[in-house]
Parts: sequence; C-alpha cells; structure tokens
Amino acid sequence: MKIIVVDDSLVMRKIIVNVVESLGYEGVHATNGQNFLEILEQCGDEVGLVLLDWNMPGINGIEALRTMQKNSRFRAIPVFMVSTESEDVKVEEALASGAKGYLSKPFTPEELATKIKDVLG
Amino acid sequence: MSKIILYDCGAEVAHMVNNLFGEKVAIQNSSFDTQRPLQEFSMVIVETGSKKPEQLLQEIKALRYACNFRNIPIIVMQKKSDTYPKHPYIMAGATEILSLQAPPLACRQILQGYLIPNRQPLDQEMEYLTPFINSTKHVLRTMSSIDAEYKELYFPSDFRIFGDVSGIIGLSGSAEGTAVITFYWDLARKVISQMMRVSEDQINAEFIHDGVGELINMISGFSKKSFIGKPYHFELSIPTVVMGSGHQIGHPEEASIALVIFDVGKSSFALQVCLKPKIKKRD
Repeated sequence: MKIIVVDDSLVMRKIIVNVVESLGYEGVHATNGQNFLEILEQCGDEVGLVLLDWNMPGINGIEALRTMQKNSRFRAIPVFMVSTESEDVKVEEALASGAKGYLSKPFTPEELATKIKDVLG
Repeated sequence: MSKIILYDCGAEVAHMVNNLFGEKVAIQNSSFDTQRPLQEFSMVIVETGSKKPEQLLQEIKALRYACNFRNIPIIVMQKKSDTYPKHPYIMAGATEILSLQAPPLACRQILQGYLIPNRQPLDQEMEYLTPFINSTKHVLRTMSSIDAEYKELYFPSDFRIFGDVSGIIGLSGSAEGTAVITFYWDLARKVISQMMRVSEDQINAEFIHDGVGELINMISGFSKKSFIGKPYHFELSIPTVVMGSGHQIGHPEEASIALVIFDVGKSSFALQVCLKPKIKKRD
C-alpha cells in the first residue's frame, strides 16, 4: 500500500517517509499540491493514505484536498493534514474540506506512527 | 567591571586604552587565540599594521565566530600609515574602525558607548518574544531531541548576522515582521541529522538549507497559537534560506529587533524576532 507524503520540505518528507516505511508501507514523495494531484492520477488506486502539508508554493494543501474531494475515484482515500497551522479555525477548515485528521508540527516519529496506525490499523 | 581583551596589540594601543579607561575596566593583553571563549569580555580590540590585512581579516572573522552571536564589539585600531579600506574589516565582523590618530576624547566616547549595558526588554516585547522562545525550545526538543537553553536577549543596532545559514520567515496579518533563525554550520548539521535520524556525514548542504527553513517555519507556526485574538497575531510566509556569513536581513521600519541566543552545549544559535502590530487607520 502506498502513502503519499506531500510537503515542499525535502527534510520533512524524508522524516515522514522514514516513519511510513518503518511501518511497512511504501512512501511516495510529492513536492507540492500540483505534484500530488499528478501522482494521485497515476497511482491513486494503490494509495491508502495521504499525509498533506498546508502551506506550499503554488497549489497549497487545502486547495489540493478540495480538488481531490471532487474526484469520486479518490474521495474515500483518507487524508491527514500534517502542518504548522494548528489553530482551531484552521483544523475546522481542514476537516470541513475533507481531511480525516490533523497532526500539528512539530511531532515525534512516534506520534506520527500512532496516527498512521489509528487510520490504517 | 567590564573586561576588554587586546589581541596582538602594540604598546601604543595598550597605553591608549589604559589611559582612556584607567581602572574602570579590566584590560587583558593576549596573542590571537580562537580557543578562548569570549563571552566574558565586553570588547575585543585588534590592531592593524603588524599583520597583513588578509591575515587580520581572517582573524576578525574567527573572532566574530568565537563571539557566538554575543553582542561583543570588535574594534580595529588603525595606524595612520595604514591605508587599507575599512569596509572589508566591517564585512569580516568588525564593529568599528578607529584611527590611532583620532582625538582621545572622541575615542573614549566611542568606546565607552560600546560598553553601555544592553537595555532590558519591555513587558510588551516579552509578550511576543516569550512564545517564540518557548516554541524554539519545544521544536528542537520534539524534532531533534536537542535541549536548547535560552541564554540571553538583546537588541542589536546592527542588522548583520555572522552565522553560516539563516532561515527567514515573513510574518503578516494583525502584526507584521520577520523571524530569523541563524546557525553555524556544525550545529546546523547536528540539528538536521538528529531531525532525520541519520549520521552527520549524510547531511549535505541541500538538507541543511531545507531543514533550517523548515525549523523557522515550525518555530513561527507553533508560536502563532499564543497570539490568537491579540494584536501580535500573524500569518506565515513560505520560508527562505540565506547562506553566507555577514548577510543582512531587512526589517520593517521603526520595529525593535530582538536577538535571542540559545546554547546547545558549547555551541549557540540565534533567533531574531521583529514584530509590531499594524497601526489601524481611523475611519
């Protein structure tokens, strides 16, 4: 099963993909919202989870999430926001846009692993 | 009592400094040495003329690094016969270039100005600085398992940063400003390697560049929560990263810029915060 990790930070993507792969999943890097949507079109049927940053150049996380939700092929894929944006109003906006959960930065690898296990079992 | 260290200064400079300050200041003569911690000194004085300018520039650069972001002026005493331009010394990290031929009264006033203690932060400044301080410690602890110790805070008059890499983020909204985190290379490598849970030799410039930007992003983002409903609330820009010692960071006009120093063992890094509420226009 693939987990798409969307973040414009290479270091953050590597940190998250390391956790993803330690749990036995295949981590797929996406560098921004546009790149994420392209990857989704290519391999969306194999994707079990998306870990999505918010603030990115070009198409940001929320915009990408809303675009994804419009496509019935991908609507059922759970999306977790992983972002520095952690105010209640932001979390509510993300959940209203279709996110299943939220993890605020900074986080420990253990916290991220727990969130992934909670979603995927 | 303030302490001043003279590095490789001749009798003329030593005599002049002694005459200027008398017993009010403890003066120490020494050979150039970057192993000595400089935190205990209020001023460093070096002299041109006895060394080649290129060598002195390298020594000034090393001394500026040895200051570990502390607000320690490095004064270059210049002989009349020395026609080497001043700008390279300033770019290397010197604070002031003084001529040995300048009137003693003028020298005393200039040097004594540098010995005035840093002002204490106002309560309203600590209101926005405290969340950034706490956020910095939290982010490094959580992401890198590093305990950063908050050491001191001052308000520099010089916008130049003498570190190796700075992550810069713009802040806008109810308040505007910037937040900047600056590291020396070795500590940046250590922090990023621990974030990524890899050995330091696997960390290249690209990782440091990216990681420092992400650090200031997280520090600013985490501190943002403390400002909800307050005049200092802000939104974040996408961070940028600058590499190279002596770079200058622009800040909004009439805003105080606080430089906060954190120690990680014997190393240090600096957080600059400039934040001021926007003035609301009257209808």
